[in-house]
Amino acid sequence: MIQLVLPAVAEGERPFIARLVRRREGGCNPAESYLLEEYSGGGAFVGQHGLIAVDGVPAGELDGDVVLVQPGRDRPGRIERLLRAGSMHNTLLITERCDQLCIMCSQPPKKTHVDRFDLLEAACLLAERGALIGISGGEPTLYKDQLLGMMERVLDARSDLEFHVLSNAQHFEAGDVERLRNPLYRRVSWGIPLYAAEPGLHDQIVGKADAFRRLEKSLAWLTIAGARVELRTVILRSNVDALPSLARYIATRLRFIEVWSIMQLENIGYARSRWPQLYVQHAENFRPIASALEQAALFGVRAQLFNFPRCTVPLLFRNVAMASISDWKRKYTPACADCRERDACCGFFEWHPEDAALAGVSPL
Amino acid sequence: MTAPKTPNRFLIPSLLAAGISAQDGAQASLTYVTSTGADDPNAGTLFQTFKQDHEVTLAQHRSHSSHRSHSSHRSHSSHRSSAGGGVPYYTPSPSPPPPPPGPARLLDPVPRSTTPPGEQRATPPADPSADGNSLPALSGRTQRFAAIVRRVQIALLGQGYFDGPITGTVGPVTRGALRRFQQAAGIPVTGTITPETLDALRVSSE
Repeated sequence: MIQLVLPAVAEGERPFIARLVRRREGGCNPAESYLLEEYSGGGAFVGQHGLIAVDGVPAGELDGDVVLVQPGRDRPGRIERLLRAGSMHNTLLITERCDQLCIMCSQPPKKTHVDRFDLLEAACLLAERGALIGISGGEPTLYKDQLLGMMERVLDARSDLEFHVLSNAQHFEAGDVERLRNPLYRRVSWGIPLYAAEPGLHDQIVGKADAFRRLEKSLAWLTIAGARVELRTVILRSNVDALPSLARYIATRLRFIEVWSIMQLENIGYARSRWPQLYVQHAENFRPIASALEQAALFGVRAQLFNFPRCTVPLLFRNVAMASISDWKRKYTPACADCRERDACCGFFEWHPEDAALAGVSPL
Repeated sequence: MTAPKTPNRFLIPSLLAAGISAQDGAQASLTYVTSTGADDPNAGTLFQTFKQDHEVTLAQHRSHSSHRSHSSHRSHSSHRSSAGGGVPYYTPSPSPPPPPPGPARLLDPVPRSTTPPGEQRATPPADPSADGNSLPALSGRTQRFAAIVRRVQIALLGQGYFDGPITGTVGPVTRGALRRFQQAAGIPVTGTITPETLDALRVSSE
């Protein structure tokens, strides 16, 4: 597991963004902090915002990371590794508030919101060339205007960057269509959860009345705007058998989407305590998933499996089982060591129950 | 910055080698001693050169532009033992410090040691008690941060920009001193410890 938050001591009181750099080439870039001193388990960096001393990982591992430094006044100082160098899985948290309360939420929402848009925008502008930056929450579109403004400025300044936004799509309106038609949004894709074609079942899973109808409206606006949409369906005991009917709904009503991601559950947040009621042993009954994938293929909807270790997926569908689990929270079992498909495989979430992970693994 | 006023500056080569002019010798000795004290986790190998006057250099260490070369300054293991343990602040050094370990370029993290490259960083830094000191092994962000800040405060003190206590924390007095120094040095005025400030203060790191 890669630590995303590290204890740190820094000057001043206000948080700031810096790129940590191991070696200074030539002059000083005001956005960069340079390694001054390396010590066991950390390093001291120095830049325009002053001195930063970090513990927790060897300083060399931080080289190139764009970090949010919180000097800490009342509480211990820390850095957040917002954009790790070389990682494909960098995600910025816009807010911890959410207007849904999904039964298996991996990151249960909080009531308070800390506005960090200025800092996040500064971080995006320092991203590596060609980076795809994830946006998540909470529900990012609760602050839709600020979110869109931030992405537009960043995409305008950096023609090499792309965003992928996870959103419950409860807040798009007719008034957004013109804005989303801006060519900049060709570099934005929206990952939107849809759990069932049956409104009652979807609403029950997301814990919000009428969420399905509101989602349909938003999807209509996004269609009209030509937005790039990825639909995301987490399989649960309650919706797995309804997957084929969801496939038909998507194939007939939502043909404009780019891709449909069928996702296995993550053992964290609410899902951890409700694991036995929620978790589907897909290896034991793959039929509804296979049927949904076949429907999608038949109608030309691209579908993929997230968080399905490849050895647990029938050969016929293995090519759509993606290496989906973010690097910082991914693990493999000891048995995976000899597997030839390991690099193409999602592995397991760091917090996946050890026995369950071990039980189903058969190296390919 | 002070310029050397002694015509025969090479008469006291060891002081000069330390980057210290005759006039500033006492001051420099002071800063040397106080900057390699018990709080220094590296027992003097990382921060030691407070060059009050960088015009004063010996032939083999002629210019700062040569600092990029490390090959000629490889071995400095002797310097490790030069830092006496438990030297209190403001105690003058009984003798001039040994010649400096070759000018170091700030922010160049390549460790200067005789360890083969492959073995560097494979183990934690040597235990300071190994060279006869009974210093506790200092590590971690808090001590490192404070040690660096103390060196900056001492350097500012030596240059006459700081008159507060050497605390190891950056408070309003230190920020004010940093601003005044930065203004005078013609570098960006931030009130923080910046790379330019460390360069201008000659607070160098290996």
